[in-house]
Amino acid sequence: MRIGTAKESYAADESLFDTAVQWRWLLVFFALLLIFPFIATPYWLFMACLVAINVASATGLNILTGYTGLVSLGQAAFMGVGAYTVAWLEINLGTPVLVNLVAGGLMAGAAGMLVGVPSLRVKGLYLAIATIAASVIFHFIFANWTSVTGGVSGLTMPPGTIFGFTLDEPRDLYWLIVPITVLMVIGAANLFRTRIGRAFIAIRDRDISAEVLGIRLLRFKLLSFALSSFYAGVAGGLWAYFFRVVTPESFPLLMSIFFLAAIIVGGMGSILGAILGAAFMTMVPEVLKMVVNWLSPWLPDAVALLSPVRVMVFGALIVGFLLFEPQGLAEMWRRLRRQFHLWPFKT
Amino acid sequence: MTEETQRQGERPVSPLRRRLLGYAAATALAGLLGLAGQNQIGSAQAAEEIVFGGSIPLTGVFAFAGEGVHAGIQDWVQIVNEGGGIEGRMLRYEPEDTAYKVDASVAAFKRITSQFQPNLYYGDSTAFSKTINPELERNGRMIMAGASFATELNDPDLFPLQFMAGPDYTEMFGILLRHVADTQPGARVAFVYSDTEFGRDPIEPGRERAEALGLEVVETIVTPPGSVDVSTEVLKLRRARPDYAIFHGYVQAPIPEFISQARQMGMETRFMGTFWSMDHTVVMGMGEVADGFMGVMPYRYYYDEAADAPMLERIREMRPEYQSTAYMQGFLTAMLMTEAVERTLAAGQDLTGSNLKAALNSIEDFDTGGIIGVPISLPGNSIPVGRIYQADTAAQKMVPVSDWIRLDQTGG
Repeated sequence: MRIGTAKESYAADESLFDTAVQWRWLLVFFALLLIFPFIATPYWLFMACLVAINVASATGLNILTGYTGLVSLGQAAFMGVGAYTVAWLEINLGTPVLVNLVAGGLMAGAAGMLVGVPSLRVKGLYLAIATIAASVIFHFIFANWTSVTGGVSGLTMPPGTIFGFTLDEPRDLYWLIVPITVLMVIGAANLFRTRIGRAFIAIRDRDISAEVLGIRLLRFKLLSFALSSFYAGVAGGLWAYFFRVVTPESFPLLMSIFFLAAIIVGGMGSILGAILGAAFMTMVPEVLKMVVNWLSPWLPDAVALLSPVRVMVFGALIVGFLLFEPQGLAEMWRRLRRQFHLWPFKT
Repeated sequence: MTEETQRQGERPVSPLRRRLLGYAAATALAGLLGLAGQNQIGSAQAAEEIVFGGSIPLTGVFAFAGEGVHAGIQDWVQIVNEGGGIEGRMLRYEPEDTAYKVDASVAAFKRITSQFQPNLYYGDSTAFSKTINPELERNGRMIMAGASFATELNDPDLFPLQFMAGPDYTEMFGILLRHVADTQPGARVAFVYSDTEFGRDPIEPGRERAEALGLEVVETIVTPPGSVDVSTEVLKLRRARPDYAIFHGYVQAPIPEFISQARQMGMETRFMGTFWSMDHTVVMGMGEVADGFMGVMPYRYYYDEAADAPMLERIREMRPEYQSTAYMQGFLTAMLMTEAVERTLAAGQDLTGSNLKAALNSIEDFDTGGIIGVPISLPGNSIPVGRIYQADTAAQKMVPVSDWIRLDQTGG
């Protein structure tokens, strides 16, 4: 815990950051986000957009799993609901991009509430299995409701347009994806300054006690599912605009595991954790690929020889985090900050 | 001043600070090395080099094929470069692993096209081919082929810069059904397929083709991909009593289980497969039940010692151990692409996607060195040629049981 940050008012207690320095760093970060598209190559822009989409979805899952304590392996399916909704609206109605994204989020939110109904009776592994079952049902609908979803071939959609600008390249999509993700992350951070967010935390810590305190479990658990799925739906919609091909195989169960791993590695129940976790899970395989590429001049056919090693290293890194830093990257970040803050004293 | 007082005058450097400085220095060094490395890679492309990029699945569920494709492309590039390149211009192969994931495939495409200017590209899946198509047209500098034989991609209007080095899945069914119709006119046929985009691809057009050939489709059975318990499905098959059952959308499972249970029930149905379930190791890996298993294969097998296949001899010299049919696919894809480059350069044209594709489509009666046993043409996006091979488990070989079958433009 940091010293010298005693709270003197409720407003201070509820504030997002402890110090003004943190706000300044946040402004620097936003400034970097603003100039990034002008200096980055198409590859880095692509990766930035992908990280942003994954951050949005991981933040949603963090609301449900990290803050409310409800384990879900249905995040990819909810992304699929959002993606299909957006693709269908874009192809058939040509409605504005932002309307489509909100519709995708709402549709996924409704689906999430439906899937969340069993959460009143089951939790933990049982709930995880229930959400897997729901994923299978959604996958079946994606593959077989051919008139709407295009069946197994899926939907190929035109690029979105905003104010006459066609969003068909990462350079353009960046201005859609990153601001929406930033808004969603800010929304999630502020959620936990409200009664609703605190109710989620109370349910996570001890649901029976929360109920005794007057928190209606069904209502808040379903709300958590709905919010989490809304985030997934919007992220799925952004994914649809980004790749423009949505098929039943676009959102496999493995993707849900990816998001669960992201929030565990990043730090459950932490907004920063979801951001760092999603960035870590998206970028580390790419960074490892770069390392393999750098070795190419010295090691013939390094790509073929080291690719399996790369996968193992990635797996080992995740296991390493679980073993040595169970509270995730967010805790490492906090410890690093404390070291700077308290130096020369030990934390 | 003594050494001691000098030390006392200095500000002490704490171990923590030293460590942090070390981390910072290491990070900066790594960053610099990284940037330098990237620049080095980017600038290392000589102006005259022709770059062949690839989103190759070297890990993940499709790695068994990706490794073969990778080796095939590598070997053809080596052959071309050893022969002096194309009009003096060397080929440079730049692959990246994708783990058979669309986002990783697109990321690889972005990275490779950011650092190089590839004219040729290999993609790893149908989803990637569909996703990258608009980007490919916007880029306008390259042609692309890949691991997918999806019927959907065999449309030059929708996918003008793509092609496949073989028949599409519907054409594979057409070749199989032609063989069935020639061998046993009016035969009863069943289709068994996985519940995936890959599995469903040729089923409806296959049914139409069967009817056109006078064959009766008595049953279509869909299973989850890679399913193990297929007893219910085998019972359905037994009730239908087909003369032939064609599997599609699988690599291996559940084919051996299907055949095994059907044999136990005394069924005399002959079983067939399409390209991805026809590799030698896949078929022989099924064990004894594979004996007599047939399927369509657009390429000769590695061990085929036909007199008119000097390229296979060359491959065996380069790689004495067995190479998969995916290897042949990668090898032939690279061969056709470089042929397109050669024709484009010979015509004095720029290496643009449309010029390369036009050159590719000008290929007529082309000798592949025996990879495919007949001269091939590529008027559209596919090469509708194949041959029926059958497993001989005693000899541990796939042996041809038909001549090369070439479909016309209508698929007939």
